[in-house]
This record gives sequence, structure tokens and C-alpha cells, in this order.
Amino acid sequence: MIAFLKNRFAPRKSADLGPLENTVMEYLWTSGESNVRDVMDGLDRPLAYTTIMTTLDRLFKKGLLDRRKSERAFFYSPRLTQREWEQKRAADLVAGLLVDPTRSSDVLISCLVEAAGQQDAALLDELERKIRLKRKELDRRRKS
Amino acid sequence: MSYAFRLLCLSLAAFFLVHLAAGLAAAWFAPVAIRRAERLRPRAAARLLLIVRLFPLACALFAVAALCVPSYLWFEPEAATEDVGIVCLAFAFLTVAIWSISVTRVTQALWNSRRYLRECERTGRQLNLAGNPSLVVKGNDVALAGLLHPRVIVAEEVLETLSSDQLEAALRHERAHATSHDNLKRLLLVLAPDVFPFFTPAACSHAERAWMKFTEWSADDCAVAGDTSRSLSLAAALVRVARMGGTHQSSPLVTSLVAEDLSARVDRLLHTVPDVKESNRWISGILALAAVVVATLILQPAALSSVHWLLERLMN
Repeated sequence: MIAFLKNRFAPRKSADLGPLENTVMEYLWTSGESNVRDVMDGLDRPLAYTTIMTTLDRLFKKGLLDRRKSERAFFYSPRLTQREWEQKRAADLVAGLLVDPTRSSDVLISCLVEAAGQQDAALLDELERKIRLKRKELDRRRKS
Repeated sequence: MSYAFRLLCLSLAAFFLVHLAAGLAAAWFAPVAIRRAERLRPRAAARLLLIVRLFPLACALFAVAALCVPSYLWFEPEAATEDVGIVCLAFAFLTVAIWSISVTRVTQALWNSRRYLRECERTGRQLNLAGNPSLVVKGNDVALAGLLHPRVIVAEEVLETLSSDQLEAALRHERAHATSHDNLKRLLLVLAPDVFPFFTPAACSHAERAWMKFTEWSADDCAVAGDTSRSLSLAAALVRVARMGGTHQSSPLVTSLVAEDLSARVDRLLHTVPDVKESNRWISGILALAAVVVATLILQPAALSSVHWLLERLMN
């Protein structure tokens, strides 16, 4: 009960993640619920069991993972989807910028809108490039 | 206070309490449902999320219509001269408030949708595009407007820009929305009242957004029907219409070809060949089982009597 209350009401730490935490989160978003052994086997680089265990525990304490105990092992799963996590990070960043009274929110918003416009055009170019590549691949497969 | 007025107050108050409880339960379950939905086929995922989102409304309507009203009519003597307590009146007032907001929202959405459709019918011309009767109008979008007999609306600029296979894929996408009655489902979502006036738990709004994503994916799947070439055509059509700036935002009851999550949709179309054949019947199975259990419980003679006892507590 005490552990539950501590976990529930403890102040959330920063939304920033370290490189290993990011890697572990990406693994869990791709593979779904996993235990320490699954994550250890699924990562590209060899890491100690205790390192993974500590990282998962830290992510759980940051409120990013749910966990349940099955027999003697904890199984971890992400609380948010990757998309929701990215939205939350973006929202935290913008809120952090806007809360500072010394900065003009108008300037920040116009910069964001401009950046979003450029990003949109770049994104559409990128998507079109992917479609062209896929189309070529399909044509090549049909010919052969 | 008259017999009918007390029944009205009790029904409204009971609606608020049941709706609040079911709304909080739905908010608690929504993140689990969203995670579960990610592993389902889009059509089943959309169905699950729609059920979660409409659960509070359905629950509250059922409780009032099947429990409160019959138990009151059965057990409450007409000659009784009880007054309705202030708490009961407050809950009844809150129900009136959440329904007023909801009805205003629906009226506005219907008005905007109707105005958009009328404008399209007035200025556009009827054409048969790839076997689909469509309205061709000025603008830069492909959309589906209308509730009972939705019309596919295609902008002239889109007609000029898209190749024939891209246009066919886009029209198939819109027809898929029409076949699944997605605009009617959107109306139900707009109609679903807030838990408190102007407050709906964030988790329920997330479930609604996820529903929109999965309905788009499901329509993509129907349009593509497992054909890789058609999948690429639809992806190309999405990007081209997005480049024209084609998104219709005037009413939540108008479905636009390029809704949110463009990048994820295109990636999905490129990397998987979605197939419409699916058999996720478990949701219907669970619902049928739940309905049988609930009906069995209600048919117990003690059930209505217990409800009446609760209503008495609520009234005083």
C-alpha cells in the first residue's frame, strides 16, 4: 500500500529520457509487454541483466511503464503509446516556454507555426519520396 | 409536488449519477482499451473505442428507462405527497445542464454540416466518378457530408490533380466511410454528454481521437482491399490532397479524406497491405453476454423493489 501511494503521488521527474531509457522504451513500444530477460535479448547491444532491470524500474518510477508480477518476474508495458509520449513531450516543452513571462508568447507561437509549415512541406516531400521508392520496388518485382 | 414532476426529477437525478459513475469507469478503462485497440484490426478497434466512449450514455439511459421509471410507476403510490430534496433537484439540474450543452453542440454541428452540403449542392455539379455519384465543387478537398444519405464531395482542383487510380482509391475510401455510417457515429459522439457541465475526462477524449484514427485506417483498408497497387495510389492521393491544403474543419459531421495522422496513415499503407477480411467477433460476444446477464438480473422480482428503495433515498 505504501509503495502504491509513494508511486502514485510522488512528484513526476523530468520528461527527458536518457539514451538507454529511450532504447528500452522503443523496444517496449514495438514489442509490447516484456520482462527484463525479453528486453535484454531484444536489444542490439549486450547489457547486464541488472542494468536493464534498473532502467525498467526507473521508467516505472517515472510513471512511463505499468508493471505486473507474474510468478517471480515483473512484466513491464508502456503506459502511453509512442505517439502520446511524443505529444506529451511537445506539450511540456511548449508549456515550459510559454510559462516564462519574460518571453513574448506571440513570437514563440509564430515561430512554432512557421516551423510547423516548413516541417509539413518537408514531411510531404519525404512521404512522396517513400511512395515513389515503393512504387519502383513494386514495378521491379512485377517485371522479375 | 405532482407525481409526474417527481418522476421527472428522479429520472434526471438518476441519469446524472449513473452517467457520472459510468463516465469515471469509462475514463479508467479508456487507456487500457486504447492499448488493446492498437493490437486489433482497425474496424474492431474502432468498434471497441466507440463502445467505451458511448458506454456512460448507454448505461445512464438504460438505468433510467429500464429501472427507474418502471420501479417508480410500479411501487410509488399516486396519492403520495412527498417533496423532492434539494440534492435530488441539484442532480436533476446538472442533467439538464449537460444535456443542454450536448444538444447545443449537436445543433451547431448539424447546422454547419447542412449548410456546407446545401452550399455544395447549390454551387456544385453532379458527376459520376468511377461509379460513385459525386458532387464536384470548388475547393481542394475530398469529403463525405450528410448523415442518412451521405454525399461524396470532390473539389475541382482534386479532380485535375489526381490520376484516375488515385481518384478511384480516394473515392473508395469515402464510400467506405459511408458504408460504415461513420458520420452517424460522429453524431453520436458529439451527442454524448459531458460528465460534468463542460468537463469530460481526458481519457474519454483520447478514446474519441483514437476512434477517429481507427475509422480512417478502417476506411483505408476497405478502399485498398488487399491490393498493393491501390494502397500506393491511396497513399499518393493522401499526400497530394494534403499538399493542396485539403482538410475540412467546418463541422465534425463532415469526414475529410486527409484527416489527422497523415504520416502514420501513409507509412501504414506503404508497409502493410491491409485486408478487409477479418473476424473479430469477441466484442459482440462479450456485449451479448453482458446483455443476457443484465437482463437476467433485472428480471429478478427484487431488482425493481431495490431500485425503488434507492430512489426513495435519492428523493429525500
